[in-house]
Parts: sequence; C-alpha cells; structure tokens
Amino acid sequence: MTGHPDAPETATATYVFAVGRRLDPAVLSGLTGLAAGFPVRGLTFGPLTAVVQHVPADEFTQEAWQERLSDRAELERCARAHHEVVTRAATCGPTVPLALATLYRGDDRARQALAEDTHRFAATLDRVEGHAEWGVKVWVPAAAPKRPETAAAPSLRGGGGAGRAYLERKRGLRQAREHHHERALRIAEDVDAALRRLATAARRLRPHTSEMTGEKNRVQVLNAAYLVTAVRERELRDAAETWRRRTGVDVEVSGPWVPYSFVGEG
Amino acid sequence: MLEREPVPWDTPGPLSGPLGVPLVDLLDRLMNTGIVVSGDLVIAIADVPLVRLSLHALLSSVNERVPAPWADGGPL
Repeated sequence: MTGHPDAPETATATYVFAVGRRLDPAVLSGLTGLAAGFPVRGLTFGPLTAVVQHVPADEFTQEAWQERLSDRAELERCARAHHEVVTRAATCGPTVPLALATLYRGDDRARQALAEDTHRFAATLDRVEGHAEWGVKVWVPAAAPKRPETAAAPSLRGGGGAGRAYLERKRGLRQAREHHHERALRIAEDVDAALRRLATAARRLRPHTSEMTGEKNRVQVLNAAYLVTAVRERELRDAAETWRRRTGVDVEVSGPWVPYSFVGEG
Repeated sequence: MLEREPVPWDTPGPLSGPLGVPLVDLLDRLMNTGIVVSGDLVIAIADVPLVRLSLHALLSSVNERVPAPWADGGPL
C-alpha cells in the first residue's frame, strides 16, 4: 500500500477514534490527536464516517503501546488526546467512540474492517442518539459520625467497673461504624435505583479507592453512568440534589459525556 | 430553582465535554468500554503482529495496587 520498504519513516498506520453519521471537518481542525503533524480527519465508509488519523507505524507497535501505557504520563496524554478528538467529533451528532488503540494498517484496511460492522455502528448510533452519558458518584465521610450519647452512656447494670465500660465503649464504636457502613451502601443503592428510573440505560462502574482519588476524608460508594435524554438531564440533576439534601452525602454529577459506557453492548 | 452542580469538569451546553475531567474518570470510560471492532484485533505492520492491547489487563494491574473500598474494614 503506502509503505515503502526503503523509506520506513513514511510508513503509517490508521488510528480510529470514533464513528458517526456525518462529520463537519471544521470541528477537527487544530486537533493534535495522537501524532503531531498528521491531521485528524474523516474517513467515510458506506453511510458512516470514521474519525481517523495517520500515525507513524513504528511508534504504534504493540511494544510501543505497552511501553506507552505503562508510563502514567504517556497514558494520560493518549487518553486525553483520544477523548478530545471523540468529544470534538461528537459536536456533529451521535458518536460511537472506539476503544483506545484501535489501529489498522492503513485507510483501506480500516475502511474495509469498519464497513463489516456498519450495521452494528448504525444500531448503536440510533440507540445513543439524543442521549448523553452522565456520571454520578456518591461519597460518604470516611469516619462514622461521633455519637457521644452512645459512647458516654453509663452502663445500665452498673458494676463491672472500668473494664466493662471500656468494652461497651468499644462495642458502641464498632456498632456505629457498622451502622455507618450499612447506611452508606444503602444510600448508594437508593441513589442508583432512583437515577435508573430517569435513564434509558445505566451502568455501575467500579468505585474509586482512596488511593486512586487521593481523598482521605471521604469514601466513594457509588460510581455509575447513566444514559439520559436531554429532557431528563434536568431531572437527573434535581434528583442528585434531592439525595444530597436528604442524606447529607456528597452526590457528584459529571457530564455530559459522549456515551462511552453505553456503546459496548447490544 | 436549582443551579447547575459545581462540578469542576462540568461543561454546559452541547455534548462537547467534559475535557478537564479527572484521569480516573476518563480511564473508567476509555478502558472498560468502547465498541470493539471485529477487524481490530490483529493487524500487521511490517510483518509484526499488532494486537490491540488488552487494556483490561492494564486496568487490572492498576486495581491490584488498590484494594476495594472496604476490603479491610476500611476507615469506616
């Protein structure tokens, strides 16, 4: 195809970011994508258009990817570059993002492979059209609230002395912790159930640990994504606010996202 | 009347964001999902088979270092 054995530096692969129905090339101008110097552009196949970029083949081999993705800074650069292109493309209409590191030998090969999945792409585009993904996280305080009335309550039976009081205090603390834990999980389930009623589809993501978030004082108990129509967006936000007020926990809403979490199945 | 949530990466308007999103949230979406195209699994560049990386494996390795929120009874 385009590769010349005597000029390996010109060998390129075709990286695919996303697929949509139509694309205004203007929205892609100025994007760096994954390889500086190569334009991010549309590649039509049948009735659909992929958002692609040529990348230097020798920088996108399996080994290169492994190295790249085990380097936190590089991983972040790639993820953000991919995300930027996807979100820009999504301003033109419903968009199906492809997995990070989807590569083909060249445009012809990409077109051929993508065309084989035209129906699947079309069905997914129909499904997500008019929707956005919203992320919702629920956080609770890391420590159970202090309940001095419990800890300081004198033993009803009297006697037993300091040792018994100590044990009862310990037990009270443990119970308070368990109560806090159970309540947090119940709130997470309740919030999720309430938001699912507003959503066309929902997915639970793995909650982030404190090591991932760097949060010391609160614990994430729900990390979920909801596919929501534009008209339900307000309701979702209102519901989040209602739960925040009712329970006192943090309910964070992020979005609108391109529906990353809802293009994989179906 | 409810004002918009003060989430830092929240972007109003059409589906154009969020871009300043925390990396963990982005990886949740880029690595666990995304449509898998049948033709993308193995390609060859200069006769070197290029397998689309199992990003799941990478994510697992990230997660191994971090226990589930309450695996050890946690701070709760």
